[in-house]
Amino acid sequence: MIEFLFFIEVVVAGLLAGTMYSLVALGFVLIYKASSTFNFAQGAMVFFAVLAFVGFMELGLPFVVSFFVTILLMGLVGFCTERLVLKPLMNQSEDTLLMATIGLGFVLEGLAQAAWGVEVRRLDLGIGDFPIPWIMDSAGLFISALDLTAGLVSAILIIVLALIFKYTKMGLGLRAVADDPGAASSIGIPLGNIMLLVWTAAGIVALVAGMMWGARAGVQFALVDLALKALPVLIIGGFSSIPGAIVGGLIIGASEKVLEVYVGPYFGGAIEGWAPYVLAIFFLLWRPEGLYGEKIIRRV
Amino acid sequence: MTAETDNILEIDAIEVIYDSVIAAVHDVSLTVPRGKIVALLGGNGAGKSTTLKAVSTMLAAERGMVTKGTITYDGTPVKTQNPAEMVGLGMVQVLEGRRCFGHLTVEENIIAGAYSRRLSKQEIRAELEKIYGYFNRLKDRRRSQAGFTSGGEQQMVAVARAMMAKPKMLLLDEPSMGLAPQLVAEIFNIVNELNQKEGVSILLAEQNTNVALRNADYGYIIETGHVMLHGTAKSLLNDEKVKDLYLGISKEGRKNFRDVLRKESALRPDLHQG
Repeated sequence: MIEFLFFIEVVVAGLLAGTMYSLVALGFVLIYKASSTFNFAQGAMVFFAVLAFVGFMELGLPFVVSFFVTILLMGLVGFCTERLVLKPLMNQSEDTLLMATIGLGFVLEGLAQAAWGVEVRRLDLGIGDFPIPWIMDSAGLFISALDLTAGLVSAILIIVLALIFKYTKMGLGLRAVADDPGAASSIGIPLGNIMLLVWTAAGIVALVAGMMWGARAGVQFALVDLALKALPVLIIGGFSSIPGAIVGGLIIGASEKVLEVYVGPYFGGAIEGWAPYVLAIFFLLWRPEGLYGEKIIRRV
Repeated sequence: MTAETDNILEIDAIEVIYDSVIAAVHDVSLTVPRGKIVALLGGNGAGKSTTLKAVSTMLAAERGMVTKGTITYDGTPVKTQNPAEMVGLGMVQVLEGRRCFGHLTVEENIIAGAYSRRLSKQEIRAELEKIYGYFNRLKDRRRSQAGFTSGGEQQMVAVARAMMAKPKMLLLDEPSMGLAPQLVAEIFNIVNELNQKEGVSILLAEQNTNVALRNADYGYIIETGHVMLHGTAKSLLNDEKVKDLYLGISKEGRKNFRDVLRKESALRPDLHQG
């Protein structure tokens, strides 16, 4: 029984951590849908956003104000990216765009550190990383309050975004651009505006993900690499699917924790770092478009 | 608008160059009178699509440029506008190959056409119903994913989507492409209806000369980026040269226009006739 409860704890902790992978993966999906490119700068955006947020807090701004100022800042980053990077590269190959996002990543990392310094910051959201007492008492499970909050916040954000895409005009525009940018522009959907919206949304997602991770592990450069965990998430879920990002994140989160605990010891531990990539490779062999990846619809 | 000619579109001697080196259109001039249907005819690579894209400013997205001549739409010179601005001015292009949003439903596709307009939900519904009035077939298919509908339905979606932008002028690029004759007739009937009831002017690029001329008021035949012949649709349908080359009524083998003109001038025998 104790064994089983422990297993449940591991899985729940994994799933909750997984929602955060989903959140970062969502940032990638947004940009992939709109411009068919894998945005390597997403990790840097996470780092940039949360470092800016902590920076504003240190300037003495209240939590909420800092949050919204950072969102504005991410909007500005999106605007500059659209104007200075995407627009000049319009109609270039997807590889060119990919390289540009790698460059953009370096620029953002550099800017963030130049502005706010390089030391690790503490981010206190007022939620401790300790087990929630009533769950501990009633079910005998140790579930971290921070994990649970992060999971809930991620879930809410994901649902809101999914609803926006499905039911708003902007969402329709985005899905149209994702399907066929040429046709979208032929009926008057302004590609530039859609890109700006998408990059801003990706920026907000990056900020929230960065805050959740930063609260646990400190706001530091390692966030950039952590964000790349989204890569196996996307390989499993599919690059262009929001449900895929969610399910992929949960699968990666849960499986990496379970593997770490039960398989890790045979490898001397710390397999969390690479196990998801191994899983991704098996997925590539089995189902290259991912669980929810859009199979290309082609009439013959 | 009584004395002067009321043309919604005037193209004057344009040259179009892709990638700064490849000339696709050398010298095309044409006019579309308001409320009329004008057919732009010619084979593959004649420059039909390029001409349409020059007008809708979709050229820039393919690294093409109008290097000579002028285009005037509804009194406005077309120069640095982008496609979204042209849609705002009431000009919408239906691209070659239908280009539906495959993962969106038929209805979402059509609603996307109203993106440039500020409409309330009720207004969109009203517009939709009006559009379904022309495209009955789409109403039954409204919830289907557009990528899985038939070619004819996709062509209808593309035209319906463009109509949602409430255009004064439609540019149609090969609406008959890859469709059975019956469907081609159905689509051209709808196009004619839209022209008459909605008063939308139409510039139509087609390879299917016969169908296009039967549905148009005026026609231009272009070849390798030059206008070879133009006239009223009726006169072109009865023109011996057109019959010979484009309507397949000739007993001789197929040639191109240049050869016919050469033969007519009787300077030398036709070298290309097999």
